[in-house]
Amino acid sequence: MRAVLLALIFTFTALPRNEPYELKYPANFGSRFTIPADNPITKEGVALGRMLFYEERLSSNNTRSCASCHKQEFAFTDNQRFSFGADGTPTNRNSMSLANVLWVNKFFWDGRTEGLEQQAIVPMTDPHEMNQSLGTSSKKLTQTKVYPALFEKAFGSREINGDRITKAISQFERTLISANSKYDQYLNKEYKLTESEQRGLVVFDTKGNCAHCHGGPKTFIELFHNNGLDSVQGRFRVPTLRNISVTAPYMHDGRFKDLSEVLNHYGGHIIESENVSPFLSRLSLTEDEKKDVISFLNTLTDTEFINNKNFSDPDL
Amino acid sequence: MKNILTITFIIACIDLSAQSTITVSGEVTKQLKLTQQDIGKYPQVEVKAKDREGKEHTFKGTALATVLDSAGVTLGKNLRGENLAKYVVITAADNYQVVYSLAEIDPEFTSNTVLLCTHVDGNPLPKGEGPFRIVNPADKRPARWIREIVSIRIGFAKP
Repeated sequence: MRAVLLALIFTFTALPRNEPYELKYPANFGSRFTIPADNPITKEGVALGRMLFYEERLSSNNTRSCASCHKQEFAFTDNQRFSFGADGTPTNRNSMSLANVLWVNKFFWDGRTEGLEQQAIVPMTDPHEMNQSLGTSSKKLTQTKVYPALFEKAFGSREINGDRITKAISQFERTLISANSKYDQYLNKEYKLTESEQRGLVVFDTKGNCAHCHGGPKTFIELFHNNGLDSVQGRFRVPTLRNISVTAPYMHDGRFKDLSEVLNHYGGHIIESENVSPFLSRLSLTEDEKKDVISFLNTLTDTEFINNKNFSDPDL
Repeated sequence: MKNILTITFIIACIDLSAQSTITVSGEVTKQLKLTQQDIGKYPQVEVKAKDREGKEHTFKGTALATVLDSAGVTLGKNLRGENLAKYVVITAADNYQVVYSLAEIDPEFTSNTVLLCTHVDGNPLPKGEGPFRIVNPADKRPARWIREIVSIRIGFAKP
């Protein structure tokens, strides 16, 4: 009897408080990512994070949420050169896609912040973005009917604080995996590239040397390079090319309105300086080659990702 | 105003001028932060090797093993048992990373010299490559000849 009781107690205490969220991604993406030990991904945490991602109460005038600048239909960018925050002023840089941030370690265009949890604090509190302290956000959420219960489910108590807000949002963002584009299907031998897409892939891999930084199934390596843009001295992130056809405009400052402007830059208009990356191809691309590369880039659009109901506004 | 904006912008990008040291950390007994002058004080060696285009050059610097030894990394008679499960992660200014195993570097295991290089054909490495890069004549493809090194970390493969 005592043994049974002990077994019962053991079972009860050993039960996880909430259910782990299983991340699903192709084996060829690899597992070179870190999930902080103090923020395991759980179904309850992801559900809360999704609510918070779309929560306008997290901004000073209740008009902006993470989703204001990271819209799912544009692969979590906003189709604008710069974004406008709660104070009505533009941001300094172009909104970045959140696709596959699970594999990103250093955040922002300049990689200045380590880890999603640290990253999430910045837009929430930046005066040009959501413009509200985490303390105020916590108070506002505590006064709602729904949130204290959701925090209890995710974190074990009704307490709402900045740490828990950023952790839940990070959990949700880690689930934003884009892995079902035509290119993925091609890699899995389920899709045959058209002739133009195939020629574009060859230019991408060889003459264009695009794959040096954007190679592999994830279409980015976490590198920082100067890509020969006028007036830029430093380095910026090599972003993912996944869903690139829906994330215009391009570059850290959104200076290029479409992919053909991007290809014109890389295909013959790099501004030489001592800081320009030595890995950039200096070969001019013909008009046909540019067209083919764009055909190939279009195969990176993952319509399942941009329509996935698990990532959309839970209130809609 | 435009000037202030430009200056702010330059500072906001990754600073290119402040990358002239290498840190050695991880499974070491003594963490190091080395400048170009510090590297110059180690015994200097030269190796001849072919670059990506197949052209031979004389590369000068110090053996990576010498630097690791000075940080107390388990090399030589100590490179045995579980220490053979240690690896070296080298990181560049652009965040590129490559891995070597200790046995690939240790002169008791290999007659090849993995060089922490500072000079090529008598000149300091050019911007974009230097001030420090790895030259490993044993690698046929020089993708591990990592440029603009900023850190070296010794890790232990987890069981």
